[in-house]
Amino acid sequence: MMSQIVQVEGLNLTYKSLHAVQNVTFSVQSGEILAVIGANGSGKTSTVECVEGLRKPDSGLIRVFGKDPWLKRSEVYEMMGIQLQEAEYFSKVRVGELCGLFAAFYEKPADWNLLLAQMGLDARRKSMVHKLSGGEKQRLSILLALMGRPKLLVLDELTTGLDPEVRQNMLASFENIRKGGVAIIMVSHYLDEVEALADKILYLEKGKQQFFGSKQEFRQYVRSRIPEDEWDENLSLEKLYLMIAPKTTGLTMEGIL
Amino acid sequence: MRGFAVICKMELRLFLRDFFSFFFALVFPVLMLLLFGGIYGNEPVYEGADIGMMDISVPAYSVMVIGVTGLMSLPLTLAGYKEKKIYKRFDATPVGKKSIMLAQVLVNLAMTLMGIGILLLAGRLLYQVQLKGDFASVCVSLLFSITALFSMGFFFTAVGRDMKSTTLLCYLFYFIMLFLSGATMPDMLFPDTIKRISALLPMTYAVDLMQGTFAGDGLGLHGRELLILGAVTAVCTAAGAVLYRKKDWT
Repeated sequence: MMSQIVQVEGLNLTYKSLHAVQNVTFSVQSGEILAVIGANGSGKTSTVECVEGLRKPDSGLIRVFGKDPWLKRSEVYEMMGIQLQEAEYFSKVRVGELCGLFAAFYEKPADWNLLLAQMGLDARRKSMVHKLSGGEKQRLSILLALMGRPKLLVLDELTTGLDPEVRQNMLASFENIRKGGVAIIMVSHYLDEVEALADKILYLEKGKQQFFGSKQEFRQYVRSRIPEDEWDENLSLEKLYLMIAPKTTGLTMEGIL
Repeated sequence: MRGFAVICKMELRLFLRDFFSFFFALVFPVLMLLLFGGIYGNEPVYEGADIGMMDISVPAYSVMVIGVTGLMSLPLTLAGYKEKKIYKRFDATPVGKKSIMLAQVLVNLAMTLMGIGILLLAGRLLYQVQLKGDFASVCVSLLFSITALFSMGFFFTAVGRDMKSTTLLCYLFYFIMLFLSGATMPDMLFPDTIKRISALLPMTYAVDLMQGTFAGDGLGLHGRELLILGAVTAVCTAAGAVLYRKKDWT
């Protein structure tokens, strides 16, 4: 039976004069994957950081496992795994040492030796973290998010920096994790992975919620916003998104020559 | 609690892996002792004095150790953690960012005491350095010197907008104080102008206090030093805490 893991109602967040998140409402059930999409600067990371309890919202209700993540952070973190969009680790620490450190933060940590092998990082156990490649660092970051055997995973641009093969493996892994009843919130610019994984979509534009619902409902949402002759039932989510996403001017030679 | 113990262990390992911190806190002061001890020995500081050159150098070099950990290692590590968003990553775990800050303070404190311990041992073995002061007075002088210089380091981290500006502040104040406070060379050698500048530096009072209590002075003779170091601790900690709260940690 599915239970509500995350509940967000009327979320607002401002940075000085910038209203970064405006009246956003959504929910996530156990075993469900929510994809948060939108252009750069649309408020995706700000929204998930409020859910993570890393930012205090100006107004609105946020409940994670029925608790306010800002006030009950350490209790919520026992059940929530987080992969941040950008975060470094100590430079002079070895991969195995960092895993051991994170394992000590949780009552019942995951078997990180097994995770290292599954993530293809077993041979890098004794390597210094700063010597890892971008993709390896990203995999390590995901591994650390899984360390507390979370019931909710928040992944901010999880596949950025991964090569296509590892990315495919990672997507399959998250499908398996979801089947275990774990809820996942993923921020992504890759609509193909959203199409493959997500059950629901939250689409933001300039901090405002444009859409929240299932993938099928998102298709209907796009259809209602484009001329009928442009509609094709077989269009991918990426193509559909590009039809409604804010347009940017491409680079022209005029500015260069 | 187990998580915190593991963080402390990790921070200790990182301190020892960092050449700058390890060398300047644990090795360099002993090299200074060997260098100047080789030149002057532990001869009386002036004719008829019952205290030798190395007797006053060991407490002065001890303040140098406190300066390395409090004004360099601690603030620069904390500033680096903020810039690289390491705090933020730890804030997203059940232990939180306060644990890593506390672990940093404890490890730097432990390394300070170890550095001073090594200095004392080397001074005793090589130059028969005498610790004439009573244990309690020496501990109080250590406490006041450590809290004052650590709180200055904490303040610099809070003031610095980024790693670069914190590094600038720390290097500037550390080296000015190192050379003008009497920590590296006796202040009796300074001309009057330098003595006037030296009187403005908190480290000068730490050196005077430590040299005094190591030589057997009671704390009552060093009320001024205790007052100034206490005030530096109070002001820097309070101002640093206010500025830290205002910072955007995310």
